[in-house]
Amino acid sequence: MEIFIYGFINSISLALIALGFALVYGISRIPNFAHGALYVVCGFITWSFVRSLELNYPLSIILAMISTGIIGGLIYLFILIRVRGMAISEIIASYAIGLAILEGLRWRGFKGMTYTLPTFKEGSLMLAGTPVDYHRLIVVGVGVCIVAFLWIFTHHTKVGLGLRAMAQDERAALMLGIDSDRMAVVAMGFGSMLAGLAAVLLLPLGNIVVEAGYNVLLLAIAVCIVGGLGSWVGAVMAAFLIGFAQILTVVYIGPHFQMVVALLAIILTLILRPSGLFGRQKELEERV
Amino acid sequence: MLEARALMVFYENMLALNNVSIACGEDQIVGVFGANSAGKSTLMYTLSGIIEDIKKKEEMAGGERITVMGTLLYRGRDIMGLSPSRRAKAGIILCPERRRIFTESSVIENLRIGGYLASGSQARETLEYVFKIFPALARLKKRVGGFLSGGEQQMLAIGRSLMAQPRLLLLDEPLMGLSPLIQATLVRATREIRDERGISIIVTEQYARPVLPIVNHAFILENGSAVLEGTREDLMNNPDVRSAYFGV
Repeated sequence: MEIFIYGFINSISLALIALGFALVYGISRIPNFAHGALYVVCGFITWSFVRSLELNYPLSIILAMISTGIIGGLIYLFILIRVRGMAISEIIASYAIGLAILEGLRWRGFKGMTYTLPTFKEGSLMLAGTPVDYHRLIVVGVGVCIVAFLWIFTHHTKVGLGLRAMAQDERAALMLGIDSDRMAVVAMGFGSMLAGLAAVLLLPLGNIVVEAGYNVLLLAIAVCIVGGLGSWVGAVMAAFLIGFAQILTVVYIGPHFQMVVALLAIILTLILRPSGLFGRQKELEERV
Repeated sequence: MLEARALMVFYENMLALNNVSIACGEDQIVGVFGANSAGKSTLMYTLSGIIEDIKKKEEMAGGERITVMGTLLYRGRDIMGLSPSRRAKAGIILCPERRRIFTESSVIENLRIGGYLASGSQARETLEYVFKIFPALARLKKRVGGFLSGGEQQMLAIGRSLMAQPRLLLLDEPLMGLSPLIQATLVRATREIRDERGISIIVTEQYARPVLPIVNHAFILENGSAVLEGTREDLMNNPDVRSAYFGV
């Protein structure tokens, strides 16, 4: 039971981390290697609002998420737009931005264990004999809501449909009057906001450290590769797969091996099924 | 409606369109006929502005240098260099060669995506109209685009373009690879669209015969140049054209 509950929580956390990355890649085909940096940035912005400006907590969270979204949009608008369509340049440029942000933060002295965010609600309750704190329950609740919201957003709103059109065939979308550059900015801003959302939900469980940026990026990439790059359904599925695998590893083998799971998942996927669990699109193309 | 004068398009040093001038009046169906690589698709890309996007992408990747020259007047306004989404907003919608429908989305979703530029009421009204002229689509609403037959996909592609509220519809080889029966359906639908919606249409084909009965005016492209133009009757009576494009 413990394994199930914590596996579920872990999976939802992974899904939250990976969704932003999957969204940006799915729409603009840009692998956003600055994803982890945006995650950490949102954590620090929230921290600054709460601790330095002493705004109230929910307001700071919303402001921080919006700022992160804007930062993401600006990164696309001023830098990534110039290398669009060149896979290697996109990776180098976005990774360089991520590195600059993370190491810049470290250089400005944002390091050590002093930066923490308060949990949303203290205390815990017993769930089938397992203690679960309220904060983790909130994480699960928000995570499920976000997945549902994304589904509705991409299937029933104009912008969402436009985003999906672009993900499938950018030029055909252009012919219908969907402005691909504007959509890519929206996707990048939205993806960054999702990274920020993951940050404000998950960071209160630990410290805000620069290293978290690298871990988050790695996890996001692992989830997206296993699920099939660009497939959001695949990303959620893969989050559950890796999430449970991680918890099982922690319980039966040892906590140090947790990160190995993600890396092993990448390697196994690339050997066995390079297009990922839900990389249907590519297969279809190959068949035709 | 649309007037293109002396269009020249170069891919590096290769001349894809050489001094092409074509025009399409209000409520007209204009045919553009030519063999493979005559420049039909390049012409459609130039009119719809997609060429600007291709050019931008090539420039960014350091690929082919594409040059577009000439004048392009749409409803009296010069639209040369305007981005494809701006032209789409102005009412020039391209229904591309090989259809390019969204293969992972269902039929109804493809149509809803097409309605990106339409208002809510326009989208509802047009959706009804699309199902009226292509009843087959209404039955396949939930089917995923990739699993449709070629003819169904072409109906969907035309329907999707209609959803974008065109004033000038560019149909790039809509009949390619389809059975004569489906071809007849599509040709009839094309004329209906012009008659009932007041949409001007430019249609390209390799083989002129199926569409010729509905065109008001036609141009013949050869190696990137418009070698001949005229009304339907003019072309019908031209012996060269008859043998080359009608197979008579």
